[in-house]
Amino acid sequence: MASKRIQKELQDLQRDPPTSCSAGPVGEDLFHWQATIMGPPDSPYAGGVFFITIHFPPDYPFKPPKVNFQTKVYHPNINSNGSICLDILKEQWSPALTISKVLLSICSLLTDPNPDDPLVPEIAHIYKHQRSRYEETARAWTQKYAMG
Amino acid sequence: MDDYFSSEEEEEYCSDRDALDGLENDDPDYDWVPPKGPSTKVITKESLLCAQRGDLRRVMELLSLREHHARTLLIHHRWDVEKLLAVLVERGKACLFANAGVPLTEDQDLSLPRHSTSTVMCDICMEDIPGQITTRMDCSHCYCNDCWTEHFVVKINEGQSKRIKCMAHKCNAICDEAIVRDLVRRRHPDLANKFDRFLLESYIEDNKMVKWCPSTPHCGNAIRIEEDECCEVECSCGLQFCFSCLSEPHSPCSCLMWELWSKKCRDESETVNWITVHTKPCPKCHKPVEKNGGCNLVSCICGQAFCWLCGGATGRDHTWSNIAGHSCGRYKEDQEQKSERAKRDLYRYMHYHNRYKAHLDSFKLENKLRETIQEKVSVSEEKESALRDFTWVTNGLYRLFRSRRVLLYSYPFAFYMFGEELFTDEMTDEQREIKQHLFEDQQQQLEANVERLSKFLEEPFDEYDEKKVMDVRMHVINLSVVTDTLCRKMYECIETDLLGCLALGTHNIAPYKSKGIERAAALNAKADESDKYLPLDFGKAGASELDRPSGSGSLDDSGRPTKRARTEGLVGALIDLNVPAGGY
Repeated sequence: MASKRIQKELQDLQRDPPTSCSAGPVGEDLFHWQATIMGPPDSPYAGGVFFITIHFPPDYPFKPPKVNFQTKVYHPNINSNGSICLDILKEQWSPALTISKVLLSICSLLTDPNPDDPLVPEIAHIYKHQRSRYEETARAWTQKYAMG
Repeated sequence: MDDYFSSEEEEEYCSDRDALDGLENDDPDYDWVPPKGPSTKVITKESLLCAQRGDLRRVMELLSLREHHARTLLIHHRWDVEKLLAVLVERGKACLFANAGVPLTEDQDLSLPRHSTSTVMCDICMEDIPGQITTRMDCSHCYCNDCWTEHFVVKINEGQSKRIKCMAHKCNAICDEAIVRDLVRRRHPDLANKFDRFLLESYIEDNKMVKWCPSTPHCGNAIRIEEDECCEVECSCGLQFCFSCLSEPHSPCSCLMWELWSKKCRDESETVNWITVHTKPCPKCHKPVEKNGGCNLVSCICGQAFCWLCGGATGRDHTWSNIAGHSCGRYKEDQEQKSERAKRDLYRYMHYHNRYKAHLDSFKLENKLRETIQEKVSVSEEKESALRDFTWVTNGLYRLFRSRRVLLYSYPFAFYMFGEELFTDEMTDEQREIKQHLFEDQQQQLEANVERLSKFLEEPFDEYDEKKVMDVRMHVINLSVVTDTLCRKMYECIETDLLGCLALGTHNIAPYKSKGIERAAALNAKADESDKYLPLDFGKAGASELDRPSGSGSLDDSGRPTKRARTEGLVGALIDLNVPAGGY
């Protein structure tokens, strides 16, 4: 069941790739993917290319995939391990969601952080009270870690 | 303060039943409100379904719902029908349904076919599936049966049986339990049973009015109470427990007091305390050494000499006030105060604990009395005598147990009520002293009368002549009434003058039950609704009837305890009069 569905998702992604992301298996293992996200143009992450790993559980899609950033990101909802705090990857997961939808959600998370449910409280604090400082640092990190 | 019983007044004992009744009716406070039938119910594995029927039916009828939707609503509101109805009134049906995940448009759903006839694309496995092997939920989302099944299996295994949501993103609807059961059973019958059990047991797990009996090994029963108040209950397996904290019944101690007390006793932290206060470790072998008099030069059994004041090793050359070559005269205030305080706390604890322990021991000894008394009653009943009714003996014995228990737990209560641990800021020292005197007066009276009752019950009345037996009987009956009254008074004092005055109302206690802890009645479909207001004629009953044993819920037509109930009480309930589990 799981591999069949993952195959389908892969086909869909290849047939109709989303504008700012790409994704596919790392090697032979269909359950281990890598994805890339282009930093959204209207965000301090613009110009960066962010690598993301995806692990599918054996009972996918009934359990959510494990999704992590490989590239360092300065963001209130992404910590230094690359863990992402996103509701649809946890309790709001629905089997009707797909990797494509998850990646799009991550894109919009980059544009619109959610400082009220932060994974890194310090960054959330700066985001809330010193927006320009946040943007500056995020841009600097993007420059340093997500370009070239 | 009324002194119900002192040695001078002994001769003024009421001498017959009428006077007794008079005494009982003197105080308007004791007028008997017609009691309800047993307000607690035992829910067994077999009656679990029937137990929730009442609540389910109420919600189904009120909102014209199907059973599984009613169950979903009730699970969401933790089986609190009143709360559910309050939400309905305050926030409307739409809100009530949406929050609980029940689709509003139920009737419309019924018109839609569950399975469509043509081929359907299942959004989960992304395959085209023939309509007849897909299922549409009440929320109108339709997926293939394989995907539904897999989803249910994952959720049941995650322990979420009670709230399995639809698979669609952001759909809050709870899946129809019949569909879940049906689909899961086809492939995993065991899991379907598990699902059923979770759903059924939600009535116990999620319901503040129902709790599992804490017996070990578990008897399989749960107890349901009618009113949401602090109370003590008895399961049909015989175990008595506090419904709030599930430990042994401990009223008039509050749950917190009892928890602290049992911990204190268990930890034996006071022993450690004693060692700190009364001994010092030898600087050489580190054994604790107790000073048994004399000057401040102490020798350990290992031969090492040391200074009692500072604990440092010294030589042996010394005078009464001086140790050669040693000086530690500097006053360390902190340490001194700490040790003084520890000493005071320890003595205080020892005071209460000694009395607690004494009553506990008496309680255990009196439990043995039960058998000897039974023998004495048998002997007496054989005798050719006008006096044939010996219920006064067993009634007196039950009264003794119940009063003894109140006394027993009144000591840890007092320890915390008048101690510094819980209520330091609640009263001034002066208030505390007044209250403590008030309470201790009552406690002492109760204590004196309980001991007298115990003494009379131990008399060899089976060897006495009729006149003497009548005399013992009179004393026992009188003392039973007196101790009952005193217990009640003590509870009044605790509830109104002591706990009632606290700003923080966190210390609730189970109310005084003159008849002891009521045994929960078996629950059966018919009785469930009808016996709530079983009229019992207690108004005319005399003292001995009021003193009927705990656990005998039934009275025969004449209003007297039935023989069966009495014997059952003797062999059953009494054995289980709980002795604190700590065995301290």
